[in-house]
Amino acid sequence: MAQTASTAMGQSKNTRGSGRKPIKFSDIISYTILTIAAILVMMPLAWMFSTSLRPTTESFQLPPAWLPTEFRWENYVAPFESSVPFVDLFINSVRITVAVTVGQLVTCSLAGYAFARLRFPGRDLLFLLLLASLMVPGQVTIIPIFLLMRDLGLIDNPLAIILPGLISAFGVFLMRQFFKQMPQELFDAARVDGAGHIRSFLQIALPLAGPAMATLGIITFNATWNAYFLPLIFLNSWHKMTLPQGIALLTGYMGSGNPSVVMAAVTMAIIPVLLVFIGAQRWIIEALTRSGLKG
Amino acid sequence: MSIKQAGRLPEISPKQREAFVGYLFILPTYIGFIIFILYPLIESMRISFQEFSLLRGSTYVGFDNYVQMFADPRLRISYVNTVTFTLFAVFFNAGVGLILAVMLNRRLPVLMRNLYRSIFFFPVLIAHTYIAVIWRFLYAQDTGVINYYLGVFGVDAIPWLSNAHWAMAAIIILDVWKNTGFAMLVFLAGLQSIPNEYYEAAQLDGANERQLFFRVTIPLLSPTIFFILVIFMIGALQVFDTIIVLTAGGPGDATRSVVLYIYEIAFRTFNMGYAAAVSMTLFAIILALTALQFWISRRWVHYE
Repeated sequence: MAQTASTAMGQSKNTRGSGRKPIKFSDIISYTILTIAAILVMMPLAWMFSTSLRPTTESFQLPPAWLPTEFRWENYVAPFESSVPFVDLFINSVRITVAVTVGQLVTCSLAGYAFARLRFPGRDLLFLLLLASLMVPGQVTIIPIFLLMRDLGLIDNPLAIILPGLISAFGVFLMRQFFKQMPQELFDAARVDGAGHIRSFLQIALPLAGPAMATLGIITFNATWNAYFLPLIFLNSWHKMTLPQGIALLTGYMGSGNPSVVMAAVTMAIIPVLLVFIGAQRWIIEALTRSGLKG
Repeated sequence: MSIKQAGRLPEISPKQREAFVGYLFILPTYIGFIIFILYPLIESMRISFQEFSLLRGSTYVGFDNYVQMFADPRLRISYVNTVTFTLFAVFFNAGVGLILAVMLNRRLPVLMRNLYRSIFFFPVLIAHTYIAVIWRFLYAQDTGVINYYLGVFGVDAIPWLSNAHWAMAAIIILDVWKNTGFAMLVFLAGLQSIPNEYYEAAQLDGANERQLFFRVTIPLLSPTIFFILVIFMIGALQVFDTIIVLTAGGPGDATRSVVLYIYEIAFRTFNMGYAAAVSMTLFAIILALTALQFWISRRWVHYE
């Protein structure tokens, strides 16, 4: 399965008809359709960006200008000066995202290593049980988690979102797959040198697990940065909320009167995702494809 | 007992030490698993048999909540909406994704293929919330970009978010725009894993483009297609973020999804017992779909 993922990475060994043949009518059709589809995908984002730079009085200008015609960067300052505490939202989102991502990297690499390379009674059963939890949708567990957090006094506290986020069955699965592929000789050699299990994990397995950690880190980062359901339930005061909540409210708050400022806020919220995408596209695509094909 | 002490005790065998480290390593995950998945799942089942009140405490009511569901028209509408959304969203996400993947798999310069693939995939990474915020402006009846361009072609302004049928269409279109890139990505990987020899053999037998597609590509891609259908179905059944931002379930109940309904009865009216019971029905459906996927993918492995 990893092979199929890597061929999708652009080397595309098996792409049909890679030899030199004359351009056919069907090639022109598929080029045209692909280009139209790409334009349709880009248009809402182009509109978002060009609107974000437009004077607020011309937000609704029609026909829309797809490229920025003016550069009102003050729209990007406006969210910070509005009644929505944009800086707080940003900090809250960063804090929750970082805590959850780091937490998952620690818990998933530990458990993934144990399930892949250590022998202990009940190991396979415990792993299966964990894996089965992937089938439980979040809406089923949310009510008891809400009551638990209320009893712990954690409503309107970022911990209510961070704590359940610290573990991930998917992450354990991903890390286990990776540690399983490592050659046994590495660990045998370390054993001969007198390394215990903990040292083998810290000094042999972990330094080699960079790609898997990056993959898990990126997926978790993206999912947490975009999360809406949990924050909506747990965080209810302005200064505790996360960006998606804040922006959804900003839209409603200002009505549909000022899209330029809202679009500036959305653009700023999407930038971290865009940067991660540009920097780590290879890993994201590989991981999603692999998890996709593997199920 | 700390690890160091365990190491010093002579009567502990290497095997026991390995087991000890193993349990130690899975401990954080299992603590979280028990507190945030296993316990809530069992507790949720228990709550579904209770009449729940935040102030007065809860009382056991047997199957009342489950019986109540049959007489709840809003739940019925929510399920009809959710199933409608799921059918259309899954069909178009998979269909458009497959068409794009097939076209990307044709003869294209690698640079072009990667560029198109990145463009199609990027919306997958953006939060539903932000996409819905953007599209709410695009869908505006008088000032929206979409109606403007439809107007250029002589189409009257469509009441995208204020008409029951159009609102559902609006949610489906947005969903396909955002998610079809994921289907495209998985299909492309599936297509590229089909060995060229199959095509060459079929071509030797005189198969044309169309026969190649329906007789070679589709059958060999069928496990991938089935996988995409199931995971998109599971995702679509849980639709929430887009709807709450774009239409908040309206107009009326026209776009209220099951999860939105669960959210409202649990966290707006705090009728948690009934909400838990409704969530159990959704859980059962998703569980059945997952089981079906396991069962069929197993059969496929046999046939290969």
